Amino acid sequence: MEHQDYQELLALHALDALDASEARALTEHLPACAECRVELDEMRDATALLAHASTPAAPSDEVRERILQTVRAEPRTSQRQRAVETSGQVIPLRRPAARGLWPNVLRLAAAIAFVALLAGVIVLWQRDARSRRELAQLSQEVNTQKDELAREREMSARRLEALLILNSPEAKKMALAGTQTAQNARAMFVYDQKSGRGMLMTEGLPTAPADMAYEVWFIPKGHLPMPGKTFTVDAAGHAMISDQVPMEARENAIIAVTLEPKRGSASPTGAIYLSSPAS
Amino acid sequence: MRAVARGDETALAALYDRYRLILFGLILRILHDRQESEDVLQEAFLQVWRRAADFNESRGRAFTWLVTIARSRALDRLRALGSRARLTDEVAQAPHDDVGDAAEDALKSEQGTIVRQALAQLPEEQRRTLLLAYFEGLTQTEIAARLGDPLGTVKTRMRSGLLKLRELLRDRSRWY
Repeated sequence: MEHQDYQELLALHALDALDASEARALTEHLPACAECRVELDEMRDATALLAHASTPAAPSDEVRERILQTVRAEPRTSQRQRAVETSGQVIPLRRPAARGLWPNVLRLAAAIAFVALLAGVIVLWQRDARSRRELAQLSQEVNTQKDELAREREMSARRLEALLILNSPEAKKMALAGTQTAQNARAMFVYDQKSGRGMLMTEGLPTAPADMAYEVWFIPKGHLPMPGKTFTVDAAGHAMISDQVPMEARENAIIAVTLEPKRGSASPTGAIYLSSPAS
Repeated sequence: MRAVARGDETALAALYDRYRLILFGLILRILHDRQESEDVLQEAFLQVWRRAADFNESRGRAFTWLVTIARSRALDRLRALGSRARLTDEVAQAPHDDVGDAAEDALKSEQGTIVRQALAQLPEEQRRTLLLAYFEGLTQTEIAARLGDPLGTVKTRMRSGLLKLRELLRDRSRWY
């Protein structure tokens, strides 16, 4: 719009008769146009004269009294101070809202984030614990299998050794029977009379108490028992023990097994479990 | 007006005594109800008291400022009352016997007579649009709809009417 266009709006604006869009456009133009502002003031003066077209009328006396009473009841401050007070009242009303709203939202967001993080940590921790348990189980299984494998190997080696002993030209075989203490037990002792390599294979021996072990004895005729190896048995009472038969015991000796303290004894102290028959 | 801005009650009382007849007449012409009009007159003077510091002498006359406030408050009340049944014109047109000071009454009447004479010199259509805008608070579009005239015509009539009125009363400014 040109200046001329705005000027033509001034009279209607003074009468408050413009439509909203025109009034807005003119209001935006006014700060930049002193000429229009002066013209508008004149138009307003002219418009105000229209008040004289109405018939003067007297309000009741109470109106004057009411106005003055209200005015007296208000604090005696200057208009400027009032304006400052008013703005001072407006700002605190807004500020707490502005201050309060965002921190609350942020606090809520932080709380949600924290809970989510905590949940994630718990999930990961649980997963980790589960993984550790599984890993421990697996490694235990591996160890168990290793142990079993080691036992198998040892058993194979002993069987092989037993076969070699039996296959030797001067192989001897002796059966051991269970005594009163272990009536279901029995054993076989094979040995090479020449080298003295021997192998005891048991079955049916009861499991030895924790701090005890079985001990092999070689008892040559007319001699005190000579200690052999100590051993334990599996759940079925099986054991394969390789041992070196002393020179004195390679002929006409008795082979026996007693229960001794775990470290072994120099001479038999416990009950006899197995024994070869006296020759 | 400066005294009023400083918080001088007697200055406000003097202002009220000087302008109450013309302002109450204006408000009553808009609202056609004494009770409502007295309420609005009170509101208008409280606004004058509270906002006197906003009055800028260099920008216009005190009379214009007071009349503008009274008219705005009255039109606001008119819109607020909305569909509420308004009293008929007859009540407002009835003579008000309670006008106080006879000399003052004569003076106001003389000013009113001058303005009415000036209005009488305007073409009927111009006068009508001006009065509809001023006393009923209608916009150009509402007046066009009310009178069934094209908007452009209404705008031209209002603008010409106000310019003419200003011309006719230019030398009468001493009255206000």
